[in-house]
Amino acid sequence: MKRFDLELSVGLFIILGIICLGYLSIKLGRMEVLGNKGYELSALFSNGGGLKPGSSVVVAGVDVGRVKSITLEDYQARVVMNLPRGLRIQEDAIASIKTKGLIGEKYIEITPGGSENIISPGGRIRETQPAVDLEELISNFVFGKI
Amino acid sequence: MRRISLWQTIVFLLLAFGFSTPALAQAPTEQIKETTDKVISILTDPALREPDRTEERRGLLRKAADERFDWEEMSRRALARHWARRTDEEKREFVSLFSDLLERTYMDRIDGYSGEKVLYEGETVDGDYGIVRARIATETDAEISAEYRVRRKENGWFIYDVSIEGVSLVNNYRTQFNSIILKSSYEKLVKRLKAKIAQD
Repeated sequence: MKRFDLELSVGLFIILGIICLGYLSIKLGRMEVLGNKGYELSALFSNGGGLKPGSSVVVAGVDVGRVKSITLEDYQARVVMNLPRGLRIQEDAIASIKTKGLIGEKYIEITPGGSENIISPGGRIRETQPAVDLEELISNFVFGKI
Repeated sequence: MRRISLWQTIVFLLLAFGFSTPALAQAPTEQIKETTDKVISILTDPALREPDRTEERRGLLRKAADERFDWEEMSRRALARHWARRTDEEKREFVSLFSDLLERTYMDRIDGYSGEKVLYEGETVDGDYGIVRARIATETDAEISAEYRVRRKENGWFIYDVSIEGVSLVNNYRTQFNSIILKSSYEKLVKRLKAKIAQD
């Protein structure tokens, strides 16, 4: 009887450990379980610039989604990203690939547009800006600061 | 009998060609090339280079640009979320301010034109939207890639965004306008635009 109790508690402890491990790996690996809660949008970039599946998608500096996949389509990078359902992206929104810091990892920034037409799930963000080095600098140099 | 058929042919030809709009049949690249060629011919015209004809020259350049740029669409995209909150009066004012700002910013640069060549690399058309890719080759063999984003309207293709080396003009102004409006107000942005345009 006593021996059975000991075995049971060890077993329970191990199971608890495995559950914790599973939770940790999902949390740390940023995996999605039980289906995605959001919707998908795609975008074509002339230069993917080292973007990876799992890279963040950001609106106004807030992490809102992840890059799901990157494939080559007609010698351009086709990026599929996952966004939360409540976030509506206008038809004239611009998706640009940016770098965290000077040599940091790449992420996608979406600058919301003003159109009344919302891109439906599975749609494509038409306006894109590929990865460029030191783009802020060039941007201000080429187009002038106001 | 023969006469009637001749008349019929003439009427048919008139109907067929009279109603087809040549602008629509043209590809976006051709229309952009047309405008670019016009601008270059104005820039390289020695008669217009005289100092006392600067005003006239600028007027001609502006007119050529007005024919191909969709200022309203550009302004709408640059103001983005803030556009819908403006009254019609404010929208009209903003469109003219924004086009004046672009004119002011680029006129000086374009005045420095020194024989750069524009090579057209291709176009992608997707419904009413298109992208025209070009390369600007300078005398010193440096190359700059440019991308015109165009939209089809009843009377041809109109530019609503330009990307130089992958950096979009609209996105640049959209970020700047947004941060100014959020930091202060729309009125403040208009004030700054006016100050910038008046500046010499």
